[in-house]
Amino acid sequence: MYDKSRGMSGPSPEGRETMNELLRPVALLFACLAVIQPARAADDVKIGAIYPLTGNSAGAGQSAKDAVELGAEIVNSPHPGLEKLPLGAGAGLPGLGGGKIVLDNADHQGNPQVGQQQTLRLITEDHVVAMLGCYHSSVALVATAAAERQGIPFVIADSVALNITGRGFKWVFRTGPIAPDFAKAYAEFLTDLRKGGKKIDSIAVVNENTDYGTSVAASILAAAKTAGIAVAAQIPYDANGADVSAQVLQLKGLKPDAVIFVSYTADTILYFKTMKNLDYLPPLIIGDDAGFSDPSFIPNAGPLAQGAVNRSAFDIGAPGSNSYAINQLFNAKHHRDLDDTSARWMQGFFVLADAINRAGSTAPDKIQAALRATDLGPDRLMIGYRGVKFDETGQNTLSATYLIQLQGDHYVSVWPEDRATAKLQWPMTGWRQ
Amino acid sequence: MSSDHWRRAGAALAVAALLAYPLAASSPYYLDIGVTVLLAAISASAWNILGGFAGQVSVGHGMFFGVGAYLPLLVYTLWGWPPMAGIPLGMLLAVGLAALIGAPTLRLTGHYFSMATIAVAELIRILVGTWGLVGAAIGLQGPATARGWWDLTFRDETPYYYIFLGVLAGVLALTHALQGRRLGYYMRAVKAGEAAARSLGVASRRTKLAALALSASLTALAGSLYVLKTGFVDPDSGFGILVSVQMVIVAALGGAGTLYGPLVGALILIPAQSWANSWLGGGGSGLTFVLYGGIIVLVARFEPGGLFELRRRMLRWRPERSRAA
Repeated sequence: MYDKSRGMSGPSPEGRETMNELLRPVALLFACLAVIQPARAADDVKIGAIYPLTGNSAGAGQSAKDAVELGAEIVNSPHPGLEKLPLGAGAGLPGLGGGKIVLDNADHQGNPQVGQQQTLRLITEDHVVAMLGCYHSSVALVATAAAERQGIPFVIADSVALNITGRGFKWVFRTGPIAPDFAKAYAEFLTDLRKGGKKIDSIAVVNENTDYGTSVAASILAAAKTAGIAVAAQIPYDANGADVSAQVLQLKGLKPDAVIFVSYTADTILYFKTMKNLDYLPPLIIGDDAGFSDPSFIPNAGPLAQGAVNRSAFDIGAPGSNSYAINQLFNAKHHRDLDDTSARWMQGFFVLADAINRAGSTAPDKIQAALRATDLGPDRLMIGYRGVKFDETGQNTLSATYLIQLQGDHYVSVWPEDRATAKLQWPMTGWRQ
Repeated sequence: MSSDHWRRAGAALAVAALLAYPLAASSPYYLDIGVTVLLAAISASAWNILGGFAGQVSVGHGMFFGVGAYLPLLVYTLWGWPPMAGIPLGMLLAVGLAALIGAPTLRLTGHYFSMATIAVAELIRILVGTWGLVGAAIGLQGPATARGWWDLTFRDETPYYYIFLGVLAGVLALTHALQGRRLGYYMRAVKAGEAAARSLGVASRRTKLAALALSASLTALAGSLYVLKTGFVDPDSGFGILVSVQMVIVAALGGAGTLYGPLVGALILIPAQSWANSWLGGGGSGLTFVLYGGIIVLVARFEPGGLFELRRRMLRWRPERSRAA
C-alpha cells in the first residue's frame, strides 16, 4: 500500500511518549469534570438556556446569562418588594409545591449547528422541561426546529428575525419585539415630530452589512414608505472597516433631517469621531440599540453624541417600579445597569417560569398550554412591553420598544409621551455644547 | 494470524461498529454527534484529495462547501423544488468554480496557494452576504416540516446517519480507487516535488486542476448533506473560514494524505469538541476552545503527520524492541 511505502522518521520510544502527552491533559480534564457536576434536589424544575458564551457576541451572551441567573434567584428565593412580579415575592414555584428552578446553561458559540446539538443534548440528555434562547437569529431558527421535533416549549427572548415565529411551529414563543416593531416605532416617532412642527422631510439609513443591519434596515425602509417619509439614502457598510469618512461625506452631501444608524459598537464610536472631524451633525441621530446600548458607548462617545436617540424596551424607571428594583439587584451584583438585551432575556425567563408555575406540572404539553394562555399586564413585567400575550404563531402581540435620548452621561426615556421621563432635546447638540 | 488477517478483522469490526452505532446511541444527542462525525469525515476526505494526496493545502474549501449548502435551499426557496434536486447543481457549480479559480491560483505554490484560497473564499462569503437573491446576510431556510419523503426532512436523525455513512463509503471507495490510478500517482508525484514530476512528463497543472475539481465536487456534496440536516444556511455557516479550517484540522489530525486519516480525525475531534462544549461551555469560560486549540498545538508539535503517522511509527518500533529483547 502507498502509505506503507513512504519514508519515516527514526523509530524510537518517542511515539509512546507523544501518546502519553496527548492523553494526560485530556484525562485530567475529564477527571475534573466528573467532580464538578452539580447536585440537585428531586423536585427541581430544569430549564435549558443556550447563549453565545464564546465568539463574536460573547459579551452579550455573558450579560444575558447574568440576567437570567438573577431571574432564577428572584424566583427561587423570597424578594420582598417584587410582589407585582409573578413569583417575585415568594420562594420557588407554588404551583409545583415550592419547587426551585435550576438553569442548565449551554454555549452555542453563535453557530447554528452547535445550537442544534446543544438543544438536543439539553432536551434528551438533561431532560430540561423547556428552553430559552438564543441571541443569534440563525441559531434560533435551527434550535427551535430541534425543540419542535422533540416537543419541548422554546421561549425566544431576544432574537428578532421575522420568520422564527410564523413557520407553523407549535412549541415556539417569542416575548420580545421583532424588526418591524422597531421600524414602526421609528416611523411613528418621526411622524410625531413632524406633527409637532419639526422639519422631517427625508431620512437616511446607515446599516452594517450583516444579517442584523440588513434585516433591520429593510424593515425601516418599509416602515418609512408606509409612513410617507422620504429616504434620501440607504448606506450599507462593513462594521470591521477602519474608515467611514466616505459614508459621512455622503451624508453631508445629502443633508437628511434624521439619520438612523444600525451599527455595532466600534463602528458607532468611529462614526461619531469621524462626524466631528468632518464637522457634520444632522438634527437627529437615531441608533438601533446594539452599538448605542453597549456599555462602552457612553464612556467613549458620550461627549460627542449628546442628544443621540436610541431604542430600548428597558428603562430603569422611577424608584418603586419593578425595573428599578431589579436593576438595583443587578447593579449590586455586577456593578453595571441592565441593558436592553439582558433585560429582554430576563423578561423571557420570567414569562417561562410563570407559565411552568401555572401549568402546575413539568409535562411539556401542560407548559405549552400555559404559555398559550399567558396574559400578563404591563405592571407585572420588568421591561417596557405593553404586556405579554401570544398570538397563534407564538409571537407576543404586546411587545413594544421605546426611544431614549442621551442627555449627559445617561439615557432618559423621551418617547412615547406616556413613558417619557424627560423632554426631547431638539436638535441634538452632539459635541457642540 | 498474519497482520493482513488482523487488518481485515479490524476493518470488519470498524464497519460493524459504524453500522450499529444508531442502535447503540442512547439518545438523539449521541446520534447527532455520530451524524456530525460522518459529515466532518466526508468533508475532510473530500479536502484530503487535493490537500492530502496532491499536497495543495487549500484553506478556502468553505467556498465549495457553501456552494453545495446553498444550492439545495436556493432551488427550494425559488421554485419550491425538493432540496435534494439542488445537490447535483451544487456539485456542478463547485466544479465550475474550481475551474475558474484553479487556473490562476494553482500557479501559486505552498503558502501562497493557501493564502489565495482564503482570499477567494472570503470574497465569495462577502458577495453572498450582500446578494439579495440568495438571502444576503440573513441566509436561506429549508422546509420547516417535510412535504414528503423527498424533502429529506426527518424528525429522527437515523436516516441522515445512514445516508451520510453511505456517502462516506462512496467517497472513501473513490479515493481508494484513485490511489491505484494514473491520476493518483500523478498527484503524489506533484506533492513530492512538482518540478521533478514535470521533468518526468507529469502534466502538473492539469493534475492539480483535476484534483481540485474532484475535491470541490465532493466538498459541495458534504455541504448539501449539512444543509439537509440543519435546514438552514447563512454566509458564515456555509462559507465561513471556520468551515474551511475544520476540514484541514480534521484531516491533519488523523493524517492528511492517508485514506482513513480524515475519518480517524473526525472520530476523535468531533466528539471531543461536542463533549468539551457540553461540559464546559455552559460556564462561559471559553475552555472549549482552549481544549480544541490544545489538541491542534499538540498535533502540530509532536505529530504533524497525524495519528496515522504515529500508528505507523509504533508498528515499526514494536518488532525492533522484541528483536532487541
